[in-house]
Amino acid sequence: MESDYAIEAEGLRRTYRTRTGWLRPRRETVEAVRGVDLTVRRGELFGLLGPNGAGKTTTIKMLNTLLIPTAGTARIRGFDVVEQTREVRRRIGYVFGGDRGLYDRLSALDNLRYFAELYGVPPRDQKRRIAELLELVGLTGRERERVEGYSRGMRQRLHIARGLLHAPEVLFLDEPSIGVDPVAARELRRTVAGLAANGATVVLTTHYMAEADELCDRIAVISGGEIQALGTPAELRSRADGRRVVEVEAYGVPDTAISALRGLPGVRETSVEDRGALQLLTVQSDAHVDVQGDVLRELAGIRLGRVDSREPTLEDAYVAIVGAA
Amino acid sequence: MRTLRTLLIGTLLRAKHLSRSPFEVALALVIPLVQATLAVYLFRAGDEPHRLLEAAVGAGLMGVWASVLTGSGGAIQHQRFEGTLEIIMLTPRHPVLVVLPLTAATAVTGCYALVATLLWGRIVYGIPIDLAHPLAFGAATLACIAGLGMFGLLLASTFVLMRNANALANPLDYPIWLLSGMLVPISVLPAWTAPIAAVLPTTWGARALREATVGGPVWPSIGICLALGTVCLVLGAVLLKSFERRARAAATLALA
Amino acid sequence: MRTLRLMGIGGALAYRALFNWTTPAMYTGTLLAGPTFQLLFFAYLGRQLQVADDRFFIVGNAVLAASTACVFGGTMAVANERRYGTLGHVLLSPRSRTVVFWGRVLPYAGNGLLIAAFTLLMGVLLLGLRIPVTALPGLALALAAGSLACGFFGLALGALGLRFRDVWVVSNVSAALLLLLTGVNVPRDGLPDWMITVGQLLPITHAAEAARLLAAGRGLEAAAPALGRELLVGAGYAVLAALLLKVFEAESRRRASLETL
Repeated sequence: MESDYAIEAEGLRRTYRTRTGWLRPRRETVEAVRGVDLTVRRGELFGLLGPNGAGKTTTIKMLNTLLIPTAGTARIRGFDVVEQTREVRRRIGYVFGGDRGLYDRLSALDNLRYFAELYGVPPRDQKRRIAELLELVGLTGRERERVEGYSRGMRQRLHIARGLLHAPEVLFLDEPSIGVDPVAARELRRTVAGLAANGATVVLTTHYMAEADELCDRIAVISGGEIQALGTPAELRSRADGRRVVEVEAYGVPDTAISALRGLPGVRETSVEDRGALQLLTVQSDAHVDVQGDVLRELAGIRLGRVDSREPTLEDAYVAIVGAA
Repeated sequence: MRTLRTLLIGTLLRAKHLSRSPFEVALALVIPLVQATLAVYLFRAGDEPHRLLEAAVGAGLMGVWASVLTGSGGAIQHQRFEGTLEIIMLTPRHPVLVVLPLTAATAVTGCYALVATLLWGRIVYGIPIDLAHPLAFGAATLACIAGLGMFGLLLASTFVLMRNANALANPLDYPIWLLSGMLVPISVLPAWTAPIAAVLPTTWGARALREATVGGPVWPSIGICLALGTVCLVLGAVLLKSFERRARAAATLALA
Repeated sequence: MRTLRLMGIGGALAYRALFNWTTPAMYTGTLLAGPTFQLLFFAYLGRQLQVADDRFFIVGNAVLAASTACVFGGTMAVANERRYGTLGHVLLSPRSRTVVFWGRVLPYAGNGLLIAAFTLLMGVLLLGLRIPVTALPGLALALAAGSLACGFFGLALGALGLRFRDVWVVSNVSAALLLLLTGVNVPRDGLPDWMITVGQLLPITHAAEAARLLAAGRGLEAAAPALGRELLVGAGYAVLAALLLKVFEAESRRRASLETL
């Protein structure tokens, strides 16, 4: 029965129905995921990338049995996620980012003891397993303190320890690095990489390109509820091959100037990111066309800062893929 | 064996968690004292001042029920709020093993109320704690914890689906106190309420405690309380399983 | 005029934003069914123990019915600001805090009046209490006075939320104390003197007394002194709430405790 694939999903769809108002209820249907197919091999570290509301979390929740798909099927190690929940749940771990999901007034140790019991870790193994995990996530020595006094990074590590209690074969990490400081995030990446090296299958969703680039064997970029691109980080980067990126720091760029930039010959993608008073314009163009001159001409009269021309990164590839969706 | 261990550890850790909230402790300790005081003055004002100990025990049990009620209404709500509902639903065990400790723990912490009212009555109003069957009283207390905990599970199971669980839980304290005859055996209630009272574990728990206090055949009441509790447990287990599935389909597990 | 607008519209908007119990399920369950059951509980208990007649319990509990909505509402009016992290923004407003927060009490008091009237109606329908029609305007006045006083009482409790973390404990305990000390459910002559004295200073006590006189068919003149006392108690809490809000606001700026939750 057990399959060589850790995860197999075919045609996954999920719609949400919302109701607002109660005197005259207005019903709306939102299609969060519209047909996702993917297979993840055992031991693979698989990334799900996408903007907010793209359907990443919904996809993960269908794979980990929390949501029943509106259509389509999915199997974890050959077990159906809708019907064989107990078999699936024995084999998966789920970790999500943020502050919630722990009992604040209990110590880390009590939290782990509680979940070890719920996840069916045999009593005689519990002590050893908990000690191992505390060591792994670097909480040894602090385990008797109440979780309410923990920093965000510590909570996140405790989350991971909890997700690993029953030594799951497949681990779902939903934006684990959200709100974690850079040093802690680096630690976290090391832990995740270590897990995959030890044979666990990991599905990771994240906003951080560098994180995905560094960790993942393969990445699926999801947007509008569909997979827009799927491949190794190198393959995805090559989507932006043959392109060139011009970055311009500017102050107070009017919308008209931006649409003018989009109309320039050779320009493929234009994005604006607000950084305080400053705006960062990123213009992707075909590599053989030098658009820098044209761009600067369109921005004449606007106060500019640094201007830079560079090779595309995974982030640029991501912007291109999501922008094209 | 493993199942019992899971239930016990779950209950104890949950009770520990609850006992560390000043809010829960204050509610478990102070409000029953206010109610016990109210009961004392009501009984003194009425024709039956000699039944003060019964009143104190009854007020204590009211506290246990209040704790179970807010606890089971809140059990699911709190887990939602703390973001742990999805996590506990992801365990590979039957959901009953997860939810029963949550409600049983509220019955355990509810016993603070029972102890507090008895002590309060003894210290402030000099009501002697002079129980007819002390041993049976202990057994009846345990039966009440188990019976009310299982009844709480049945309530909690219906709350997996509903966001506003505590809206339904909040008004249920007085009717159960009244119907189960916790403060006095109510003979003035309309006759149609009798069958309802007869199927509530709380009625028999209250009766067992009263019989242990003033004398009577405690054990049959304990038996019926536990039997009805078990019915609640089985019913709750079935509901919980089907509600869990519906919640997965309706995406209501994550709503805070 | 602008002050009235701030009290009226600001109060109504804050009510919608901060009162957690406005969903139909919550409203019906907690605010309508809850007090009705409470009334039935004490009425039947009273019958069993033969402490007092139905009118005593029905009218008393109807007046008390407003307290849940008002005490918890008043607390929410301040404490939930903190929960949503919006308190700082409100305190940054250049308008008078006293007016802002007093305005918030009005919708809760109106709501309390509605609930009290509903509970009284249920008592009449379910337990067959008879009330002279001529007493109704006076009764409405008594219920309104009780609700308003309770609302300001709740606001004063809510103000404690600027200073203390577990303000919900305070409001829960206060709600329970109202049950005991206002003499709604125990004839007050059975209570010790100190409890009676404390009861005199709480909302509901005098409103319940006035309502009972009115329901018994004694005219408005007979009930007027008690009504006046209730309004006086309400005004006292309004001033206390304003004072507490001022003191705690000043203190929180010094101690930087405003946003600590």
